[in-house]
Amino acid sequence: MSKRITINPITRLEGHGKIEIFLNDAGDVERAFLQVPELRGFETFSIGRPAEEMPRITPRICGVCPTAHHMASTKCLDSLWHVEPTSTAKKLRELVYSAFMIEDHYLHFYFLGGPDFVVGPGAPAAERNILGVIGKVGVDVASEVIRLRRECRQMMETMAGKVIHPVFGLPGGVSRGISEEERQEFLKVAENAIQFAQFSLNLFDDVVLKNEDYVNLVLNDAYAHKTNYMGLVDKNNKVNFYEGDVRVVSPEGKEIARFAPRDYMNHIAEHVEPWSYITFPYLKNIGWKGFTDGADSGVVRSAPLARCNTADGMATPLAQAAYEKMYETLGGKPAHATLAFHWARLVEAQYAAERMKELLEDDEITSDDIRAVPTETPDEGVGIVEAPRGTLIHHYFTDDEGILTKVNLIVATNFNAAPIAMSVEKAAQGMIKGGKVNDGLLNMVEMAFRAYDPCHACATHSLPGQMPLIALIHDSTGKVIQEIRH
Amino acid sequence: MHTDRSTSVLVLALGNDIKGDDAVALEAVQILKKEGSEGIDFVDTIESGLALLELMSGYDKVLLLDSVSTGVHPVGTILEFSPDDFNQVLSTCRHFMGLPEVIELAKRLSIDFPDEIRILAMEIAPPYEFSQTLTAPIRAALPSYIQKAGDLLKSRG
Repeated sequence: MSKRITINPITRLEGHGKIEIFLNDAGDVERAFLQVPELRGFETFSIGRPAEEMPRITPRICGVCPTAHHMASTKCLDSLWHVEPTSTAKKLRELVYSAFMIEDHYLHFYFLGGPDFVVGPGAPAAERNILGVIGKVGVDVASEVIRLRRECRQMMETMAGKVIHPVFGLPGGVSRGISEEERQEFLKVAENAIQFAQFSLNLFDDVVLKNEDYVNLVLNDAYAHKTNYMGLVDKNNKVNFYEGDVRVVSPEGKEIARFAPRDYMNHIAEHVEPWSYITFPYLKNIGWKGFTDGADSGVVRSAPLARCNTADGMATPLAQAAYEKMYETLGGKPAHATLAFHWARLVEAQYAAERMKELLEDDEITSDDIRAVPTETPDEGVGIVEAPRGTLIHHYFTDDEGILTKVNLIVATNFNAAPIAMSVEKAAQGMIKGGKVNDGLLNMVEMAFRAYDPCHACATHSLPGQMPLIALIHDSTGKVIQEIRH
Repeated sequence: MHTDRSTSVLVLALGNDIKGDDAVALEAVQILKKEGSEGIDFVDTIESGLALLELMSGYDKVLLLDSVSTGVHPVGTILEFSPDDFNQVLSTCRHFMGLPEVIELAKRLSIDFPDEIRILAMEIAPPYEFSQTLTAPIRAALPSYIQKAGDLLKSRG
């Protein structure tokens, strides 16, 4: 008898979705899908608006990564008006962005992904949350996460207005600089962030790397895909969140493309499926070959581990040391273990903290030369940043008056949509055998996509109640024969 | 966390102003704010989850305004909850951290958190397209929603 398992909604994912798992007569997984209700029509919603409104509107797409949209949109306006921001403006933008990456990465590690490892993938569902993490590592760690997050957000508020509705980026610059007094305050935040990054990497070492079962889980083939990887790199091919060229490497780590943001359409195309509103970007030169990995597939992964795989290293010393240790443990570069995205996230948080300090120690950061006023006529612009969840592209067209005539956004979760679909199916096939389905196994299927930190903006903002996980097992007639609820 | 609030009561509206009816609580709180009330802070946010910890800490009492899509009530129905309801109710929340978890987290971390939280929600149809306007049924139900919120605030101890 064929069975159909439904997990809906997915727990601890930013947004919501549903996994459907179809079993064959032997009780093994035949197919698995991740379906996400997406809001439609943002591009249409934008047309006819003045382009300069976009850095204020696009952060509203999602309450999870407003700063990433704000920054991609701001860079898109630079490109649209053909204006080069001043050096100080770029540094101030990168400073805000570093603070954002820190708070976002730790939120994911400790609150979303952390419970899988710190509490354990097989632990009861009721314990696989931040409260379970506190139970394992103590109240002080959670207090420290919340304190650092608050400090980063206060820093962002000082510089950019409300965290959720930043009013900071302008074409050619920023709306506000920082004083010497603020610089000294922010340096304390940077020092705290560097220390906490070291602590978090040590915690990962103690909790995950010293646990043979967890290491085996990370390296389990059920959680691996040999794909292409993509990310922004600086001129030395080091990871950069704010600017640079987009570099793409093959599953063997060989550079197969490198391009400026404005040229992205020569390298990236989008595939559509009838069962989803999400588009599936792929490498144009290779083409769409379906949901499959390998060098012959156009599927490309984005986000922390992909960025590390794409780059030649990290631009700061402590992050570089952590980077080298990660690849030594994972057996070289590129690493294909999806669960290692969590580790790469901590390496990146270390880099963001060190970079924040570097920027603050640069005397130019307090200069009042914060904007180059645009003088050109707007036409077409592209802005790319690395969001916590992967590469984020904003592409606008306007008339001579700067009124939007066409908009295209490719968000980070788009890039990982095909890999997530592949990872969910492979994990389900690896974990569920002979019709044996339980709470822990289903969580291990969810872990496959949680590592990507996907963000599917909520279709509706709803009451802050308890997040349920429901697994329904249907027979071939659609009748529910088993229900797992927690 | 905040321990220096100048007022003890917060009206916190959750929603997104470019997602159609999801903005109903945001519209309501703007009107309540204009009507004004001594000793009450009025705040709106697109955030939820952990952000609630920061927004609500330091207050004694909070009235949370939000939208909900249970699919079991007619659109425009006004529903009142307490946090305890969410331990039993099958919530439609899509966020990674629910209110019960936030309250428990505050307790474990000894964060000054409200003793009284009341939740007033309006049933909406899930919005699937971006929009900056409320649909007619939600617009029609808005005065009752504001009236109910005002009554709750007046009845606060």
